[in-house]
Amino acid sequence: MEKVLEVKDLAVSFKTFFGEVEAVRKISFDVGKKETVAIVGESGCGKSVTANSIMKLLPMPPAFYKGGEILFNGEDIIKKTEKEMQEIRGNQISMVFQDPMTSLNPTMKIGKQIVEGIIKHQGLSKEEARKKAIEMLELVSVPQPEKRINQYPHEFSGGMRQRVMIALAMVSNPKLLIADEPTTALDVTVQAQILDLMKKLQEKLDMSIIIITHDLGVVADMSDKVIVMYAGQIVEQGLADEIFKNPKHPYTQKLLASVPRLDMDRKESIHYIEGTPPDLYIPPKGCPFYDRCDFAMKVCKDNMPDAENHSKSHYSRCWLNHPYAKAANEGSEK
Amino acid sequence: MAEPLISARNIKKHFPVGSGMLKAVDGISFDIYPGETFGLVGESGCGKSTAGRTIIRLYEPTDGELYFNGKNVYKLSRQEMQEVRKDFQMIFQDPYASLNPRMTVEEIIAEPLDIHKAYKNQKERRERVIELLKLVGLNEEHADRFPHEFSGGQRQRVGIARALALNPKFIVCDEPISALDVSIQAQVVNLLKDLQKKFGLTYLFIAHDLSMVRYISDRVGVMYLGHMMELASSEELYDNPIHPYTQALLSAIPIPDPEIQRNKQRIMLEGDVPSPINPKPGCRFVDRCRYAVDKCRQVTPEFLEVKKEHFVACHRADEIIEGTAKPTK
Repeated sequence: MEKVLEVKDLAVSFKTFFGEVEAVRKISFDVGKKETVAIVGESGCGKSVTANSIMKLLPMPPAFYKGGEILFNGEDIIKKTEKEMQEIRGNQISMVFQDPMTSLNPTMKIGKQIVEGIIKHQGLSKEEARKKAIEMLELVSVPQPEKRINQYPHEFSGGMRQRVMIALAMVSNPKLLIADEPTTALDVTVQAQILDLMKKLQEKLDMSIIIITHDLGVVADMSDKVIVMYAGQIVEQGLADEIFKNPKHPYTQKLLASVPRLDMDRKESIHYIEGTPPDLYIPPKGCPFYDRCDFAMKVCKDNMPDAENHSKSHYSRCWLNHPYAKAANEGSEK
Repeated sequence: MAEPLISARNIKKHFPVGSGMLKAVDGISFDIYPGETFGLVGESGCGKSTAGRTIIRLYEPTDGELYFNGKNVYKLSRQEMQEVRKDFQMIFQDPYASLNPRMTVEEIIAEPLDIHKAYKNQKERRERVIELLKLVGLNEEHADRFPHEFSGGQRQRVGIARALALNPKFIVCDEPISALDVSIQAQVVNLLKDLQKKFGLTYLFIAHDLSMVRYISDRVGVMYLGHMMELASSEELYDNPIHPYTQALLSAIPIPDPEIQRNKQRIMLEGDVPSPINPKPGCRFVDRCRYAVDKCRQVTPEFLEVKKEHFVACHRADEIIEGTAKPTK
């Protein structure tokens, strides 16, 4: 598959008063053409930092790239200047944010906000840009676009605002759309509409999507590939079917077991993960899940395991994969 | 079944707004039995939180009756209400906004004790606070800290400890887990379940996460635009939803299984929830309903028991049960 984005050993840290926070610690993944990649994990696991570092949207300082490369069309984004980034942002990579209430300017009409982007990125005349804006609203199924274009954000519902945000992101047919929790603030019936819309647009515009979410239902609905992050690292990665049917890392297993499913027996109890993720001021030397893992062994405390491939597309980082652990197996030792 | 602990009859809460009357809750009736968890679900703006707050009389009701242990709570004077309030508690959605940042955890948890003078001396007060902290999985050393020193899950535990301080019978949980991370949600829900077993608590559990509501609730009510649309036991409601709105709502929930999700037929709802200001007569769901007929526009359907302990407000409920209902669009 043709690769649109390649992230190699990316490390991003924040300099703070207390010291360095290692938010993203050497992660690697790639996104193919027309592929949807989901990044899942709890708050603070580094998923949003990853997304923002691809767009170079992190405030620097305090953030800084500690190492690695982000190759988009074969060119390293980290080395780009702010001016070059402005060419890429919106044109080739677009982003949709979680909160449609705060990502639109409340004092500007919807139309003007879209037109502004079109004029800036495509150099069309005002009249042409207006036509294009109406077209974009039609594309995302906003009813009566000629009328809606003259309204303000507060006259739109949450779902409609998210549609406008998606229209804004689609203006110049980006190759890659990064959606950071795009439906978290929305109701389920509206969420279904928005996810459906994103899939249709992807089909129509040949676009790749990175979707960041903590909702495993959304992941199952949208993604081809799933990346599970924990404490700034990728602990497991694989095709959606592999991750959901055959999770290998204890964290992934626990995460899947901690959500009640509509199709499960109500008497079954859901499992929860004791404790909270580690602090990333001084990230643990060994496996970051050590404190919360049922299968933790002595070796886990101070040594981070390498990735073990389970198939061509599926790997996890856990000592349980080690041949010695497999031999000893079945019991847990802490 | 036993006598209900809470009986709500035709409860209404209207708010006057500039352009008319916002009918947030417009005549809902249901019973909650001792020791059960009653789930109340619906999308934003359907009036579920207002219903919860009106039930414990944080909002003065516009109309209706609420019987608690046989007494009509809405008729009580301020002073009599004080007594009843000990039995009614609430856990709020936002663990960041519902704890006073300038009070220590001890002060927060002891506040209800102070108000109701529920201790003899300082020692007894402190002991009770520590007992409560332990109940919710925190410990003594947390008592002198401030809310900002806690994570979201821990704060919600403090909120739960405060709600338990006066040994209440009935707790309204208003979206208690929606601000928390997935793994933490499960911790809090399991804590609520344990406490329920231990103290025989009765919950009204308000949430928009339908999978979680199904997991925790014995019976579930579905609200839409101020009306109760359907009410049944958890199993019955999720296995055999009758109201077209409930059907659409359930089919919209993505299941964490790519295979099921790929092959699922979804009932897609068009448009958004209409405005609750000066709603039109007739069924509230009519404009988005795939079974809507003329009658639905004219007459508001009654909330009737169509199957044993399964209530629905829909003119075409019988046809839908028999499977003879044909979509009109």
